[in-house]
Amino acid sequence: MKINFILNGKNVWVETDPLKRLLDVLREDFGLTGVKEGCGEGECGTCTVLIHGKIAYSCIIPVGAADHAEIMTIEGYRKTERYKALQDAFAEAGSVQCGFCTPGFVLAAESLLREDARPGETAIREAISGNLCRCTGYNMIVEGIKIASLKGKGLW
Amino acid sequence: MKGKIGKSIKKIDVAEKTGGYARYIADMRFESMLHAKTLRSSKPRAKIKGIDIPEIPQGYYIVDRNDVPGKNRVKMIVNDQPFFAEDVVNYIGEPILLVVGPDKEKIIKILSEIKVYYEAVKPVFTIEEAEKLNTTPIYGEDNCFADYEIEKGDPDEAFGRAAKIVENEYRTGYQEHIYLEPQGMIGIYESNRVTVYGSMQCPYFVKNALIQGLGWGGDRIRVVQTTTGGAFGGKEEYPSLIAGHVAFAAVKAGKPVRLIFNRKEDIQATTKRHPSIIRLKTALDDHKKIIATDVDIKMDGGAYSGLSNVVLQRAMFAATGVYNIPNVRVRGRAFATNNVPSGALRGFGGPQAFFAIEMNMHALADHVSEDPLDFKIKHMLKKGDHTVTGGVLRQDVKLDEMTDMVLGMSDYRKKYDEFSKNDDQVLRGIGLSLFYHGCAFTGSGEKDIIKAEVKLKKREDGKVLILIANVDMGQGAQTTLRKIVARTLCIPVDDVIYENPDTDVVPDSGPTVASRTVMIVGFLLDKAAQELKAEWEKAPEVEVHKVYEQPGYIRWDQETFEGDAYPVYSWGTNVVEVEVDPVTCEIKVKGIWGVYDVGTAIDERIIQGQIEGGISQGLGYATIEVMNSKDGKILQDSITDYIIPCSMYFPGIESKLIDSYYEYGPYGAKCAGELPFIGAAPALASAVQNALNVQIKRIPVTPEYLMETAEGEN
Amino acid sequence: MVRAYRPPDFQSALTIMRENRAIPLAGGTDLMVSRRRWSGLSPFFAKPVLFIGHLEEIKRVEIDITNIKIGSACSLASLLEHREIPEVLKIVISQMATPAIRNIGTLGGNICNASPAGDALPVLYAMDASVVLQRKAEIRTLPIEKFITGPGETVLKDDELLTSIIIPKKSYNVGFYRKVGTRQANSLSKLSFQGLARIEEGKISDIRISFGAVAMTVIRSREIEEILIEKSGKEIEKLIPEVSSLYSAVIKPIDDQRSNIRYRKTISLKLLRYFLRTVLISKIG
Repeated sequence: MKINFILNGKNVWVETDPLKRLLDVLREDFGLTGVKEGCGEGECGTCTVLIHGKIAYSCIIPVGAADHAEIMTIEGYRKTERYKALQDAFAEAGSVQCGFCTPGFVLAAESLLREDARPGETAIREAISGNLCRCTGYNMIVEGIKIASLKGKGLW
Repeated sequence: MKGKIGKSIKKIDVAEKTGGYARYIADMRFESMLHAKTLRSSKPRAKIKGIDIPEIPQGYYIVDRNDVPGKNRVKMIVNDQPFFAEDVVNYIGEPILLVVGPDKEKIIKILSEIKVYYEAVKPVFTIEEAEKLNTTPIYGEDNCFADYEIEKGDPDEAFGRAAKIVENEYRTGYQEHIYLEPQGMIGIYESNRVTVYGSMQCPYFVKNALIQGLGWGGDRIRVVQTTTGGAFGGKEEYPSLIAGHVAFAAVKAGKPVRLIFNRKEDIQATTKRHPSIIRLKTALDDHKKIIATDVDIKMDGGAYSGLSNVVLQRAMFAATGVYNIPNVRVRGRAFATNNVPSGALRGFGGPQAFFAIEMNMHALADHVSEDPLDFKIKHMLKKGDHTVTGGVLRQDVKLDEMTDMVLGMSDYRKKYDEFSKNDDQVLRGIGLSLFYHGCAFTGSGEKDIIKAEVKLKKREDGKVLILIANVDMGQGAQTTLRKIVARTLCIPVDDVIYENPDTDVVPDSGPTVASRTVMIVGFLLDKAAQELKAEWEKAPEVEVHKVYEQPGYIRWDQETFEGDAYPVYSWGTNVVEVEVDPVTCEIKVKGIWGVYDVGTAIDERIIQGQIEGGISQGLGYATIEVMNSKDGKILQDSITDYIIPCSMYFPGIESKLIDSYYEYGPYGAKCAGELPFIGAAPALASAVQNALNVQIKRIPVTPEYLMETAEGEN
Repeated sequence: MVRAYRPPDFQSALTIMRENRAIPLAGGTDLMVSRRRWSGLSPFFAKPVLFIGHLEEIKRVEIDITNIKIGSACSLASLLEHREIPEVLKIVISQMATPAIRNIGTLGGNICNASPAGDALPVLYAMDASVVLQRKAEIRTLPIEKFITGPGETVLKDDELLTSIIIPKKSYNVGFYRKVGTRQANSLSKLSFQGLARIEEGKISDIRISFGAVAMTVIRSREIEEILIEKSGKEIEKLIPEVSSLYSAVIKPIDDQRSNIRYRKTISLKLLRYFLRTVLISKIG
């Protein structure tokens, strides 16, 4: 099946088995290796992408279901001002250790901040509750998102 | 760079990791790379009577024991584990062979058509079964990978005059690392050499394993670490096994071979924290003071010895915790079972021992009707005291100061009294733990086994290369080690280059384990930088080379376990406050406080990251991380079923460092990576004990366990 | 490789179902996990697959005087944002899985998956929800407890689609939901409890109680609920032991990797008593 979608702002298509995982299509057909596989069952969040601006686990979405969708991966998002604000805030807060989960957390933060530019702690914890991190214990990621929302004033 | 070295800088790798630029092993592609999948034993213990292999299409390969050109044993302390099973299998998930080829669909088909004929042998699944042993031993004659005894003072005499003798038994369960990046390796065979890329902590462990497995000279083997997505000990010894697999496969196929685990496979087949049973018999005198203790530590080592003997030693050396007990006997045994091999995990035997000791102290205090904290304080170690192994605590022991701090931060005393008056509506509790971690390798291991070497090289452009085999696996080595070198050389951090290690380029500075990287390797780099500074102008390119020298004060006898078990200790105290749901027995953590002595922090924010991550992983171990093996099979083999903490699980953590300086660490640094893990479980369990007024004797403290314990006591 | 269809509209979907007896896939958050294989390979489906998650006809929420009708392909997140969705249902949905799953997973999917631990089920049972099933030229409506027959089993015919969920409008003034999982968020239920009631003039005029993950299907017993109707606080207090033992006879949980029989049963009954005594009676006053 030919599947069309918007990937990181560009119209693209791929001729493939529509049941193939979106994750595999992104990594293998488009070389977007910022999308990771940590569990393959929608539990860890390392494969997080944005679909129409909302987070989704690409490891449990068949690419056929993403036909005509607007998909953003970290490779697209990192070109934005908002990304820059998050990256700086993550650096400031010590949110990054091994890094395997980090792109997923950045996209989860984006998904939250576009709905709520000044989220409280509970809202932040809730928004990232589907992204696992084994290194930080989360507080320093929560802090990073708080800093981004303060310093990135006007961006969201 | 001015001011305190500890002032945090931006971590070197933030941009590449946050932006998804970093290449982990699964992100790497090589021309005509093949895939590999492992055929694993489905039996916990059996003889392999035969294997039927279907006809293999061209371009596909079976790689098994016959393809190991050298010795079919993974190089470890004891060489008992084969790369590929030979005539027997000893655990479910043990690798038998690989199917290698270009198309995954075909590989799966071939795998499904292979038939292995097993003849079952009576297995051993638990520590109890291993101890009784009514079947043939899996290892040696007594089925123990290690059986040690340590004695201090005269325990028999002390028990003889005791006013009171109290016995308690504690149990700890499995823990799985859940590094977010699963294990993976790529092997390449080119120009008569093998190169292995992969996610790992110890490039030279891997290289030495390949030297033994391939039977080749080291000059034909190259190991390169790829950006590692978490490790926690899980990528200490295990990668040697699968590095062998991809190397043998690459040699056979003549093409690059990639072996990336999926999560289920990773949980089922890789190492875990050793489950333990720890029994403590304690003698008290008329003044409610401990005069002797007899500690029996038993661990489930799994099917192969791996690192079990060293994990056991660490647990034994910690057998009296942070308390000064004059007469001690410790027996430690690591048993062979037909479970997946146990291995390294942050804390390395310490968490098991400290859980048992801290809970035992609490129980003893209850027994003699003393306040548990006062009881602990009156036994606390001081500078100059002797350890279990008769070593002398030469550096400052600031436990009293640290305890005062954490009591103030958490308002422990007031809360403890308030929570002790039980009312059934809200069950709140608070607990405190005291603990240490011995820095770097045990005894004189750094001198006798590791013999670390580092190089620093000034290039013509003025940049300086750090050449060491240690890796950044998230803990921040890339940043802290650069800071040390930059500061000593008085150059900007950006002028220091430290790439992922490649054994063709870097000397063997030892493994990235045992919280040794900053203290041992960082100290050597500091010395190298001092030398380089002196020779800076001598030539456009200058290289300095430093080899580890043991501080003169260390005395150690590895045969008798007498002397200084560690060069130095880092210390910690942890307070946890909980609320237990009176209906469901679920535990909610309400507050976490910690004070640590890690020497000088090279980067305070990185240390904070180690503290918070360690506590979080430790609280997971203490509460929700349930892993059971039934008939040799891990029951919780997915992230859905093996639950680790998520962002909603714990509140913020308040932690502080105290001023401390260690002469033989860079800028005074000691160790920090494992320490914060250790105190979490006993602090939490003590808090639950305070909330419910029941004795907690095992971790994880599940609601199921609490319900049964509470029902049992009513 | 099996065929997969992406119909342009709902009628075409029904035609494809008739001709191909396909497996409907809306969000796929359960199916893609249970059918997954080695990464890089498509998940395994024995039959053709029909994508329905994009069909507008089954993504609507319709309200009339008596009912709320929720399209089966409505994402869980969209229901949380919808003003007309009852709060009691929102409380449950907000604790299901994680934000990323709720963005993709659907209410219809959670029902058709028919897991005894399906999080949306106890509240739907309690609210007397029915499901609308449609195939070419036939529509039928079934109460949810008639639709789900066992773990993973429903009476959905192989050419039929679940198109909507009908919830009768009722007003409750007592609601109590507890999901007990290993972790506060993002974990499967060990057990769950749903209680709904209406108190009028110091007596119970309507009560619904359901239990999740402690039997082959969700437990709800109208006979036991009947005992509590028209009862005052004092009367309920006296009835607690009887009601408790009646439920005890039907709660039949299992041991598995997440919990055990003893815990599941004991805590279910404790939650029942907590609901009756602490939530309900204190509300009656």
